[in-house]
Amino acid sequence: MPVRVLIVDDSGFFRRRLTEMLSADPRLEVVGTANDGAQAVEQTARLRPDVVTMDIEMPVMDGITATRRIMATTPTPVLMFSSLTTDGAKATLDALDAGAVDYLPKKFEDISRDQNEARRQLCERVYVIGSSKHATPSSHATTTTRPAAPTPPPTTASRQSAASRPLATAATRPVMPTATPPARRGQYRLVAIGTSTGGPVALQQVLSKLPADFPLPLILIQHMPGTFTPAFAQRLNQQCAIEVREAKNGDELKPGLALLAPGGMQMVLEQRGGRTTVNITESDPALHYKPSVDVTFSSVARIFPAQTLAIVLTGMGADGREGARLLKQGGSSIWAQDEATSVVYGMPAAIVDAGLADAVLPLPNIGMAIAQKT
Amino acid sequence: MALNADDEILQDFMIEAGEILELLNEQLVDLERSPNDHDLLNAVFRGFHTIKGGAGFLGLDAMVTVCHLSEDVFNLLRNGEIQVTAQLMDTVLPVLDILNAQFAQLRAGEEPEPAQEYLLQELRVLAKPDAAQPAETSVEPQATVAAEIDVVAPSAAEPANIESSSAAVAGMVADDMGDITDEEFEALLDALESPSATQNASESVPTSTTSDDEITEEEFDALLDELHGEGKFTAPVTPETADTAADDIITEEEFDALLDELHGEGKFTTPTVENVAAESLTEANVSKETPQATEAPATAAVQADKPATAKSALTKTAGGGDTANQTETTVRVDTKRLDDIMNMVGELVLVRNRIATLAQGGDISQAREEMGKAVANLDVVTGDLQTSVMKTRMQPIKKVFGRFPRVVRDMSRGMKKEINLVMQGEETDLDKNLVEALADPMVHLVRNAVDHGIEMPDQREKAGKPRQGTLLLAAEQEGDHILLVIEDDGAGMDPEVLKRKAVEKGMMDAETAARLTDSEAFVLIFDAGFSTKTEISDVSGRGVGMDVVRTRISQLNGSVDIQSELGKGTRLSIKVPLTLAIMPTLMIKLREQTFALPLVSVNEIFHLDLTKTNVVDGQLVVMVRGKALPLYYLTRWMVDGCSGITLPESGHVVIVHVGTHLVGFVVDYLIGQEEVVIKPLGNLLYGTMGLAGATITGDGKIALILDVPGLMKSYGHRQA
Repeated sequence: MPVRVLIVDDSGFFRRRLTEMLSADPRLEVVGTANDGAQAVEQTARLRPDVVTMDIEMPVMDGITATRRIMATTPTPVLMFSSLTTDGAKATLDALDAGAVDYLPKKFEDISRDQNEARRQLCERVYVIGSSKHATPSSHATTTTRPAAPTPPPTTASRQSAASRPLATAATRPVMPTATPPARRGQYRLVAIGTSTGGPVALQQVLSKLPADFPLPLILIQHMPGTFTPAFAQRLNQQCAIEVREAKNGDELKPGLALLAPGGMQMVLEQRGGRTTVNITESDPALHYKPSVDVTFSSVARIFPAQTLAIVLTGMGADGREGARLLKQGGSSIWAQDEATSVVYGMPAAIVDAGLADAVLPLPNIGMAIAQKT
Repeated sequence: MALNADDEILQDFMIEAGEILELLNEQLVDLERSPNDHDLLNAVFRGFHTIKGGAGFLGLDAMVTVCHLSEDVFNLLRNGEIQVTAQLMDTVLPVLDILNAQFAQLRAGEEPEPAQEYLLQELRVLAKPDAAQPAETSVEPQATVAAEIDVVAPSAAEPANIESSSAAVAGMVADDMGDITDEEFEALLDALESPSATQNASESVPTSTTSDDEITEEEFDALLDELHGEGKFTAPVTPETADTAADDIITEEEFDALLDELHGEGKFTTPTVENVAAESLTEANVSKETPQATEAPATAAVQADKPATAKSALTKTAGGGDTANQTETTVRVDTKRLDDIMNMVGELVLVRNRIATLAQGGDISQAREEMGKAVANLDVVTGDLQTSVMKTRMQPIKKVFGRFPRVVRDMSRGMKKEINLVMQGEETDLDKNLVEALADPMVHLVRNAVDHGIEMPDQREKAGKPRQGTLLLAAEQEGDHILLVIEDDGAGMDPEVLKRKAVEKGMMDAETAARLTDSEAFVLIFDAGFSTKTEISDVSGRGVGMDVVRTRISQLNGSVDIQSELGKGTRLSIKVPLTLAIMPTLMIKLREQTFALPLVSVNEIFHLDLTKTNVVDGQLVVMVRGKALPLYYLTRWMVDGCSGITLPESGHVVIVHVGTHLVGFVVDYLIGQEEVVIKPLGNLLYGTMGLAGATITGDGKIALILDVPGLMKSYGHRQA
C-alpha cells in the first residue's frame, strides 16, 4: 500500500508541482489537495491520509493553526514546507510546537542543487514520515502536560537484555541494552545530545526536565539550517530551566549551560589550559550534515573519552553512530531513544543495531533519567 | 536557466502569478486607503510570498529577490512594526511595476532582468526598521514630494546627482564637490539649461552662501531629467547633445519624448540612468564623512530618482496595454460551463442524427413536418450553445478597471489633486477581446478626467465643492450591450468654449459652430487636433489621443456619448456590444449583392420619393422632420461600375449615425434584421476602408459587413 499524502498549499502552482513530484514515486499516492488550512483540517478528517504536507502562509487559516487543529481532531503526521529564513524559523518552530513532525524548505534548491536529487530526497522524507508508525504526534510537545506517551511495549531488545547484558563489541550483533541506564553517577563531565527529524520537540521535552542547577555542561547537535538555530536556541532557553544558547566560537563549557551547534557549521570541542571550549568551523563540503553529530561526538571522544553521556534522539539516517562508537570505545555511556517514541527511528536504530546502546529509553523518561544519573 | 515559454510548468506559474499580480495591483492601492487592514496586509504578503515560491521553483532569481524583499517589508507591516505611509507606497508601487515588467519579459520568453539596485536598496531600508530610522530623519515623513525636494535638494541631492551628469559638468563641479550652496545649485541649473550660462555659473560659485532655496518641483524635475539625459547622452552622441543644449528652449514635449527614449533605451544598454544613480549612491557611501552625511546623500539619490521613475511608470501604463493584448492567450473557464457545453454538443449530435434519418426519405409530407420539428430543435440548441460558448469568453470588466486605482492614485499624487475613485459593476462580464480592446481607451479617458475634469482642491473649495473630487467608473449590462460610464464631479465643459475653439482651429465656420447642439459640441473633443488646454501637460499629452479613443470604440461597434454641465462635472457613456463575434445587422441589397449594416448605427428606415431631394452646397440632402440630412447612394460607392449611374426615382433610405451626425443611405432592397457571425476579411481585403468583415448568409452567399464610420471617411468627402 502506498503512503497516502494530502497536499496543502494555497498556491495552485505549488500544489501541482508537488503532486507531480510525489506521484512520480510509486511508494506515494497523493489522495487530495487543500487550498487553505480550514480545508486541510476537513480533508484530513475525511481522507485520513498517512501524511500531510503543509504550507505555512495561507488564507482563511494558516498552516500552524491547521496543524494544531489536525492534532486535536485527527492526529496525522504533518510535514511543513517553510522558507529557510530567519523569519521562517520562528514560524517553523511554531509549527513544530503545534505538532508538525518535520519541515522541508519550500525552495527545493535548498534541499539539493541537483533537481533530481532534491526530488528524490523530498519523496524519501514524505515516505519515511508517512510510513513511520510513530510519527503520529504523540510527542506533540509544548511544555504543557500531555498524557505521557504510551509506555512502549517491551522491545525484543530490552526483554533479552534483562537476561544477559553482554559487553558491546564491534563483532557481536545488536547488543541488548537495558531500559534503565546503568548508574554511574558522578562519573560524567558532559552530556552530548545528537538528533535530527523530530529533534526540536524531543530536545525540548528532554531539556525542560533538567533543573536550573544541573551540574554538567551540555552540547546539542540538531540537524538544522543556520537560519534556524539562533531562534531555536532562544526558544529552548525560554522553555527550559537551564540556559540554552547557540554556540559561538570560543564559548566555554559551563555547568547548566547547553550549547547548540550552529546550523551550517561544525562544532568541535577543544581543550586548552584546563578550559574546554567549543570551536566552530566551516563545514567540509563533503559532509552531508551540518552540523554533524559524528564530528562533534568524535571530538568529544578525544577530550572526555570515558566521561561523556552521549544520547541519540529521533532522526533519519545514521549520523552519530561512528562518533558514538568512538565514545563507547573510550568508555562513555550511550543512550538511544526507543522506537515507539521516535518520530523517525533511524539514528537511534543505528546506535542500537551497532550494539552501542547502553540504554534504550522512551522520550518522556530521558530527561528524568539524565537528571537522576548525573 | 534557459526559458521555454511553452513549458507547461512555466505556463502554470505565469497563470497563477499573473492573477496574483493583478490582485496585488488592486490590493496595494486599497492598502493606501485602509492602511491598517490586517487581512489586506496579510493578503499582500501572501501574494509576494506565493510568487516568490513559484519563481524560486523555476530558478527565476531576479523575481525571487524582488518578491523576497517586498515580502520582508510586508511582514513588518503586518506585524505592526512599521506603518503604511505614502512614502512607503511610493517605493512599493514601482516595485510592483518592476515585477510586472519582469513578468512581461517572462511571457515574452526572456529571462527577467534584475530590478535596479536603488529600488532594492530602498526596499532593504524599509525591511530594516532600524536602518530606516536615520534615513527618515532627513525627510519629514508626511511631507509632500515638493517639500522633500526642497529640504534635500540643496544640500544632499546635489553631490549624488552631479556625479551622474559628470560628463557634462564635471569640470565645473569637481572643485566644489565638497560644499555646494544653494546659489551654486541655482547656477548649476542655469548652466545646464544653456552652455553659455556656464560662465556665469562658475563665476557665481564662489559668492555668498545665503540661501534662496525656493526651487519648484518642476524646475527640479527638469534639472533631474536633464542630468539624466546628459549623463546618458554625452558619451555616445556628443554633437546631438550640444545641439539640444544650445537650442536653449526645449519644449516639454520634446523633453518628454527624450525622457521616454532614454528610459526605453535604458532597458537595453548597460549604463542606465538608474545604474548611474546607484553608482553615485555607492560613491556617496564610500566617501564616509560623518555617518549622517553619508546617509543623507543616499536618501537623496534615491528620492531624487523618483520623479523620473514615476514618469516612466506612467508611460509604461500607457503603452502596456498592447503587449498584454498580444500575450494573453488563455482564459479560465468554470468546468461547470464546459459541462453545459458538452451537454449541448450532445444535443446537437442528436438533432443531426434526426435530420440525417429524415433526409434518407420516407413519406415526403410527413418528413417535412418532422423536419420542421428537428430544425426548431436545432435552433434552440445552437442558440444555447452560442450563448454558452460566448460565456466562456467572458471576463469581468474588473480586468480593465483593476488598473485604475493605481492610475488615479499616481496621477492625483503627482498633480496634488484629491480624488476618490468609485467603481461599480466590476463584475460585469464581457467578451475577452473587448476587455482587452477597451483597456487603452478607458485608461485615456480616466486620465483625461483626472487631468482636465477634476479641479485642484483649492479651486474646488472656492467653488463650494468638497476638496476631494469623485471619479465614478461604472459598468453594467443593458440588454445586448455593455454600458460603461466615466463620471467626474469636476469643472465640466463649456460648449461655447468648445465651439469657439473649433472655429479657431479652423475645424468649422462660425455659423456651423453656432448651430451645434451642446452634445454635438462636447463630441468635438474627439476630433483630431482638438485640445482645449493651451499647454500640453505631462499627463494628457501622451498616448492615444481622443480621436483614437473614438475610433477604437467605433471599431468595437460601440458609441460614446458625453454629457457635461459647467461647474458640475462630465459624464461619458460608452456603449459596446457584449461580443464582437456575433453582430445584429440590417441586411440590404445593392443590385444583386447583399451587404450588412451594423444595427447599432441604424437609426431608422423609410421609403422616399427621391425626386423630393434638394442640393445644398453641392450636396444632395433630404428633409426629414424638418432637418436636412445628407443623402448618399450606396450603390454608387459599393457596386462596381455604378459610380455615375442614374438612380431610380424612389428607394429605401436607411438613416445611420456617425458620431452625432445623421446621414441617409439609399439602398436598393431591404432584406431584414439578421444576426451574423463576423468572419475576418482575407489578407487581400484586410484593412479596406469601409468594410468591417464578411459573413455568410442563410442562402450560403457571402455578404460584406459595412463599417459606417470608415465608409464615411473614405467616400463622404463632406460630412454634414
